[in-house]
Amino acid sequence: MANLRDIKRRITSVHSTRQITRTMEMVATAKIKKAQERIESARPYAMSMMEVLGNVARNAKGAEHPLLLEHEERRRVAVIAVTGDRGLAGAFNSNILRMTERFIREQLDAGVEVDLLAIGKKAGGYFRYRGIEPVAAYRDISGNPTFADAKSIAAHVIPAYAGGNLDEVVIMFNRFKNVAEQVPEQYKLLPIRATMLDEAAKDSDVTAEYVFEPDAESVLEHLLPTYVETLIYRALMESAASEHGARRKAMKSATDNATDMIGTLTRSYNRARQAAITTEIAEIVGGAAALED
Amino acid sequence: MGRTLLCEIVTPERIIYTSEVKMVVAPTIDGEVGILPLHAPLVSALKPGEIRVRYGDDEVEWFAISGGYIQVHMDKVIILADHAAIASQIDVERARHALELAEKRMAELPKDAEAEISACEQQLKWCEIQVEVAKKA
Repeated sequence: MANLRDIKRRITSVHSTRQITRTMEMVATAKIKKAQERIESARPYAMSMMEVLGNVARNAKGAEHPLLLEHEERRRVAVIAVTGDRGLAGAFNSNILRMTERFIREQLDAGVEVDLLAIGKKAGGYFRYRGIEPVAAYRDISGNPTFADAKSIAAHVIPAYAGGNLDEVVIMFNRFKNVAEQVPEQYKLLPIRATMLDEAAKDSDVTAEYVFEPDAESVLEHLLPTYVETLIYRALMESAASEHGARRKAMKSATDNATDMIGTLTRSYNRARQAAITTEIAEIVGGAAALED
Repeated sequence: MGRTLLCEIVTPERIIYTSEVKMVVAPTIDGEVGILPLHAPLVSALKPGEIRVRYGDDEVEWFAISGGYIQVHMDKVIILADHAAIASQIDVERARHALELAEKRMAELPKDAEAEISACEQQLKWCEIQVEVAKKA
């Protein structure tokens, strides 16, 4: 009979687990929506910024800016790893961590020094455990990334790149393709792709003769760092939305698995119960037969 | 009411304000620029300060911004700012509190933490401007 009670206990436990995963799934679903709205509301700024950038670029042709300049030698690079603060989101964090770790190894093997900026508790913990101390670690961002967060991260890399202490800056984050799909991506933030300016300039209104104050070059000098900040901001927001998407998927399959498991367990419970009853009847019948003799 | 301008104030997080207006005054790096309808196309960097928007003869609205850019083209004014707030909606208590916090943190920061110091300075400036502009609402 102990077996029956064991099965019953397991069913109850899987039941309560399923309740938790189902709730987490629903919470994540609600949060995806909010995170998506946030990405949407950042679009007007990004678009206006590209418009201004295009106009400026057209009038500051051939302008040399330290952020556009590619460094000939690669001695030190920075990598920004964007993860979440919590797990239970499938491969969301581990994809980024693995990608970042591989990147760091490759750089170290090539004799290039690496500065790590760990965004999210997961990245900080993972790399510290492996003896790679981040130059800067952020946490509690993934819930609601703000532009101020992005600015603060950018402040670690932009002056360093402009000053020649860094030769490349890449960011690793989960791009939010749609609710069901998140793609880990490695994006080079610095140097800024020179073609980006040409593309932006192509879309600008050629007929307008702009006046620049103080002049196109100085405006460009102000704009480029802001452009990098908006890229980081965007990556943070996409990562936040992806985290909820990944968690929802992970929790959905956990809920489905729990349901399957409860089904299987219930079947074995019933079978065990039936077996017990059959044994009992056989015993009674056997006992009665023994009495008759 | 004659020709008007479409004025848009946008931050990375959202659109703060959009409306038809008569005049916009914004703080550029070298001083102040006043935009009226039919203004020539202009792009300029803005420093932290206040923006005045005029609707009618004496209807004025104030905004605090933490620096950014302005673009004027075809009677459309786009202001891009890191932070922006309508004067009437600034929470003075909160801004004051943030100001104190930033001052305190500033004093504690080590001298070589350049990134933190410049971030802190910007934060300080932004709080000051908010408090300043809120008085005008």
